[in-house]
Amino acid sequence: MGAANVAEEAKRLLRTRITDPSFVFSFFSQNSNSNYSNLKYIISSSVTETCNNSALLMGPRGCGKIAILELVLEELMKEHPGMISVIKLNGLLHGDSKCAMKEIARQLCLEHELVFSKMASYDDNSTFLMSMLRECGLAHKTLVFVLDEFDLFTQGKQQLLYNLLDALQTLTSQAVVVGVSCRMDADQLLEKRVASRFSHRKLLFLHPSSEDLQRLTKHILQLSTDSGLPNDYVATFNTRLYKLLADEKFKGIIDTLAYVDATISHLLKFLFCAVSLLDSKSGILSLDIFKSALQRVQRQPKMESLKDCSILELYILVCIKRMEAKEQDTCNFNSMMKEYKSIHDTFQTSDYYARNVCLRAFEHLLDQHLLSFEDGKGHGQSTEFRPVKLLVTWPELHLALKSHRSCPTVLHKLMMDREG
Amino acid sequence: MCEDGTPKSSRRSARLSSGASPDLKPPAPPKAPKLQPLSVEDLAFHGEPLSLDALIASFPARRIQILELISLLGPLDSPMMPLFVYGGASTGKTSVMLQIFRHLNRPFVYCSLITCYSPRILFESVLNQLLLHRACESSRYASAKRCERPSDFVNLLREALSNLVNTLKGDVKSETTKSKTSRVNGNMIYLIFDHVEVAREWDMSSSVVPLLLNLRQILNMPEVGLIFISRASLDTFHSDTGFAEPFQVYFPAYNEEELRSIFMRDRAKSKLYNAFLDLVLPPFYRTTRRVDELSTVFTPLFKKYCEPLDDLGTALSEEVKRKLFSHLQPYITKYMQTTFFPSEDLSNDKSAMKNEVVKKKIAAKKEASEEIGFHMSTSARYLLISAFLASRNPATLDGSLFDSTGGLDNRKRKRKASEKSMEKKETKEQELLMKGPGTFPLERLLAIYQCITSVIDYAAEYENADSMEAEGCNNALLPNIHLQLSSLCSANFISKGGSCPLEGSTRYRSTISEDMALKVARSLDFPLFKYMYRS
Repeated sequence: MGAANVAEEAKRLLRTRITDPSFVFSFFSQNSNSNYSNLKYIISSSVTETCNNSALLMGPRGCGKIAILELVLEELMKEHPGMISVIKLNGLLHGDSKCAMKEIARQLCLEHELVFSKMASYDDNSTFLMSMLRECGLAHKTLVFVLDEFDLFTQGKQQLLYNLLDALQTLTSQAVVVGVSCRMDADQLLEKRVASRFSHRKLLFLHPSSEDLQRLTKHILQLSTDSGLPNDYVATFNTRLYKLLADEKFKGIIDTLAYVDATISHLLKFLFCAVSLLDSKSGILSLDIFKSALQRVQRQPKMESLKDCSILELYILVCIKRMEAKEQDTCNFNSMMKEYKSIHDTFQTSDYYARNVCLRAFEHLLDQHLLSFEDGKGHGQSTEFRPVKLLVTWPELHLALKSHRSCPTVLHKLMMDREG
Repeated sequence: MCEDGTPKSSRRSARLSSGASPDLKPPAPPKAPKLQPLSVEDLAFHGEPLSLDALIASFPARRIQILELISLLGPLDSPMMPLFVYGGASTGKTSVMLQIFRHLNRPFVYCSLITCYSPRILFESVLNQLLLHRACESSRYASAKRCERPSDFVNLLREALSNLVNTLKGDVKSETTKSKTSRVNGNMIYLIFDHVEVAREWDMSSSVVPLLLNLRQILNMPEVGLIFISRASLDTFHSDTGFAEPFQVYFPAYNEEELRSIFMRDRAKSKLYNAFLDLVLPPFYRTTRRVDELSTVFTPLFKKYCEPLDDLGTALSEEVKRKLFSHLQPYITKYMQTTFFPSEDLSNDKSAMKNEVVKKKIAAKKEASEEIGFHMSTSARYLLISAFLASRNPATLDGSLFDSTGGLDNRKRKRKASEKSMEKKETKEQELLMKGPGTFPLERLLAIYQCITSVIDYAAEYENADSMEAEGCNNALLPNIHLQLSSLCSANFISKGGSCPLEGSTRYRSTISEDMALKVARSLDFPLFKYMYRS
């Protein structure tokens, strides 16, 4: 294998690992007191003891709730083949209860090889669900309902939730309802009658600690000898990796990453960037790669937009900032033009442009979201009259003016005036 | 609707065709050429492959971004995280993305949220491309599948994608003797969604934007790559419960050297153009950094720049350059104050013999610029002027401006106002101008309209008219008022506000500028200045 091919193969392998949630979160399945084992216990007890259960998984996005649930279900399907059947719903897609019931009927039909009719009404689907639950209960088969984006099901009348949780109360059924939500107060959103039928078992998925993140990095990045790559390459890669992981600077990088966002998905984005920067000749990770990956993952969009402004746009921003500093309540394009004219009269700048050129620059700033309208839809008024507010702060504007290459000194002076 | 959901539009036969006699045969429609059914290879670019060097050369300032995107897309058949490419307008995001796919020769599906302006059209467009559907006349250009709801979209998408991926995998395995250029690379399909920022404004935005950005989680297929292109950065996408953040790539705006290399891209040998850019780029760069806006201005300017040169191949000495610069200078200052092409300026015409023709032309041009440019009936013009006055003047002033006979009130003011109250009045007037045109109810508009039109001299138009007829003509204008008003509203000269529950009636607002109102008034010989609150 040529060197480039090896590096490419390694990249492919690592990228497959990073984008595969089941590989990433299998790291967490080893711990005995983790969410994985609790969840497994809940669902398996329903299978073995033929009882009904419901649970709610809560945690910020990117902490592995669905991934761990999938791992648990996979494990259990291996242990009890043919006794578990899974139905997946998503609050974004099936928030409407009619839609949700149709989707449940469709998935049940698919699983059990029945003919699905698109024309069935809500009542038909509902009775179908009830009879399926009864049949599965009699056959000792557990139905697992996975409700992703659970908080979106709680909008409206919560008819679907009530029907599902009510069905669990009957003796003949054998089902588990698992809700997954990124809102930490998802259980407070339930109606009284629904909440009374819910078992209030909650599993919290929180950010992993810094050491866990380090160990997860090692788990993802280390190559094993049976990965199809030449052994000497694997050996060099791994030794280099272990050396890096022990390095204080690398730990510092991971900590900086975790300050902003300690979720696993953020770490995965960082690792993805690092792997894509892997040098195609040597194919070895180095500290520089991780440093540049950190820069790319941590972005400051407002500063980027400010650096892209033309000089006229900077003038407009400084004018509006000055008007804000003078505590004028509302400012719109016309009042900004007045201020602009007064600056031109005071300082005799060469940058005095006509009204429509300024209007075009004003609209650029609106597109970049450095300015925004204060009223919602505008009630048909044109851009010149609607009140605007500035979305950047003094320090940001100051920094942008300093780093702008050809910023006129007038603007610097105007910024200094305010601080004086 | 039949089982699989394809729409069948019912056709109403026109009376003519149903009543047509049976012996008249309708002319046979021209035979449409038989189009080949689409295949997977149509999802990638056809034709010459593009090498990496050619790709980088065709985008002068985008080397870093191109290499970054290629490294993020990764080697063949490697799964990827969703990408979010953002940057200002006309920074080359879409074109770079598409040319990268031409270079890599991988199959992709592209749809822009500007052409697919509603969720249903978006879903159907993506599915059409994935199902390799060709819209033809026989099915009335219908889509392959009718899809309105996100849940249907996801199910159909999953089905279509897995079919396509299996076809691709099957292609790779089968022993075909097709040449390399006709086959696409890899087993992965990439979905490119362009102009994602407009989805924020859609009514269904609360579900479309999170749906698109969470699509990877929902689909859960590693063979699908998602790419989003947007003009706004990700932090402007507000969502109640958030979404899984894709990986962001930024396209910064061009700086001065990069703009120069872009404009010189096809004219590398032209010293003339280089000298031209030296003159125009620095001043125009201060107003805008967008390539499209700059090129709109540079094209006519370059024509003006080359005017004094008899032979474009003459060598550029300092003297020639100075001459060209002095010729161009007034045009630069003129073009700096405009955003589009200014009207032609004939005053610098060299030939003295054509003076009279030139003067006539100037006069004609002046008149043309003073005209409105489209036709409006007289009553519509008066209505427009009344609306402008109603928006411009505060309602309390109506009584003093229009006296009981409808004419302009010319009473002499009794006292001269003091300095301070004049100042206060001025600031108040300025504030009113800043705030923009005010709203007015329909009754006020009609009152002003009647006041204005009652003083029109109809006698000049109708030679045999007596006063009764003149009044009759005046009254004849009234029934059309509501029609005129609604047509002015739909032309956006007057905007209609919502009805206030306290006041009950709808309020209108005039949206025309002062220039336009003056033009309309001049065409009617109406003294608008006398009626305006502050001229």
